[in-house]
Amino acid sequence: MHPAPSIILFTVLSGFGFGLISIVGLLQFLSQISAGDIVIFSVIGLFFSIIGLISSFFHLANKKNAIKSMSQWPTSWLSREAISSIFCLSIVVGNIGWVFVQNRYINEVGIILFLLSLFTIFTTSMIYAQLKTVPSWNNMLTPALFIFTALAGGSILLLDYASLVLLLIFAVLQVLFWYIADQSFIYKETSVGTALGFSKNEDIRAFDVAHTNRNYLLNEMVYKVARKHAIKIRYISFFAAFVLPMLLILMFPSNFSVSVFVIGIHFVGIYFSRWLFFAEAKHSVSFYYN
Amino acid sequence: MTKLPKCEDKKLGLLIDLDTCVGCHGCVVSCKEWNSSGDEKQLSDINSHQKDPVGTFLNRVHSYERENSSTNEAETFYFPRSCLHCEDAPCVTVCPTGASYKREEDGIVLVNEDDCMGCGLCAWACPYGARELDLVSGVMKKCTLCVDRIYSEELPPEDRVPVCVKSCPTGARAFGDFNDPNSDVSKKVRERGGVDLMPEMQTKPVNKYLLPRIKSKDAVSSVGSVVEEETDATGLLGWVDRALSKF
Repeated sequence: MHPAPSIILFTVLSGFGFGLISIVGLLQFLSQISAGDIVIFSVIGLFFSIIGLISSFFHLANKKNAIKSMSQWPTSWLSREAISSIFCLSIVVGNIGWVFVQNRYINEVGIILFLLSLFTIFTTSMIYAQLKTVPSWNNMLTPALFIFTALAGGSILLLDYASLVLLLIFAVLQVLFWYIADQSFIYKETSVGTALGFSKNEDIRAFDVAHTNRNYLLNEMVYKVARKHAIKIRYISFFAAFVLPMLLILMFPSNFSVSVFVIGIHFVGIYFSRWLFFAEAKHSVSFYYN
Repeated sequence: MTKLPKCEDKKLGLLIDLDTCVGCHGCVVSCKEWNSSGDEKQLSDINSHQKDPVGTFLNRVHSYERENSSTNEAETFYFPRSCLHCEDAPCVTVCPTGASYKREEDGIVLVNEDDCMGCGLCAWACPYGARELDLVSGVMKKCTLCVDRIYSEELPPEDRVPVCVKSCPTGARAFGDFNDPNSDVSKKVRERGGVDLMPEMQTKPVNKYLLPRIKSKDAVSSVGSVVEEETDATGLLGWVDRALSKF
């Protein structure tokens, strides 16, 4: 699949934003955070979520109809994502306002924010996980990876050793995701044979092109450039998203300026991870162009 | 809107015979022509008369060869690929704006361009690559089964079929109601064993394909046997052959 920068930025930035909001919500519920910190970190979470959502808006080819994306929530995960994110961010704004004016907070609002922001990340991941056409996405590892990526990123600024646990869970899920995506059984059912109505093991190959130039389908869904350097990029991603943040947090615990630096490195790693998420994914239409 | 209807009345679709298709791309050209003409219709091209042209098409014809296991020879066939108007159309349910829909009365899957925001998710959800985003208008394009022809009251009755069916010079494409067991397409599907594409995707396509019939060893003179026959030439060529063989 084509790794569009607008979509990668959307999932990375809004994922981090909602991850931060969920951690703030959890700490608010458990009374483990000051009113001032709720305001500051909620504003940061809000900022990243909104930048991410704006980035996704730039992916649309016909932006004037974007508002209609809120209408099909009974069937569409993308519609649920749009509604859930707007609803969640509205509550965040309300919470910030309340805490800022009253200088105290309601614990129960925290748990609502925690669950709602996790649900929003889940809906984002289901946009991809629902697609039978991309088998490496079409399993529950995708939502698990998206949720723990967001939680790990969001926890770096606010939690010390607990963020190490979340980073570790993220790393395990990430390695598992790559491992599963590499297995041949992921394509156990589809082949050029089934694509053309024959049996799975039919010996068929294309001998001429269907069109003389690239088209939308090839640009969007038959993206092969990445696979050449995939393994190297996985190492870079894993090192930047997990190993380096882990080491820095262990060496400088509770150091806020180091945390900000760690977030920067972590972003680079997650950006590469999401780039691979798209670039390595194989869509069933590619069988027609074998 | 994006909930799939039952379509208990009619299931209109195409039956494509890969044994008959000669890969002329006539359906591609006529489809592009019909769906680019008239009011408010557009299947745009970019750089159409320059280097690297790209354009939107609702129909593409691929060319394949497969190995015949009984003769060990390659057999070529052509494969027109377009929307299959699936009963469980994943392109419809993923649509966030309600632009993508399936008609209850005849099962045709359409895009309401006034609602489409061009996110492209329906194209990702389609296993068959049946949807292409128009790069100029920014909305999703797909086969309409020529809904503006088949129900037209202005066109003569014999023209009220999809233009790809009308234009096919070999009659490889048939249009009909797959819900009616007595329709021509249903009969042919029964007689010749019409198949679904990628049944494992559980989309339940309405369109069916008739696969190329496998040529038996006796019915076809293999490439090898043709070459051998030439060495057994008679007459003048035979004399030359025999004369030259002596040296």
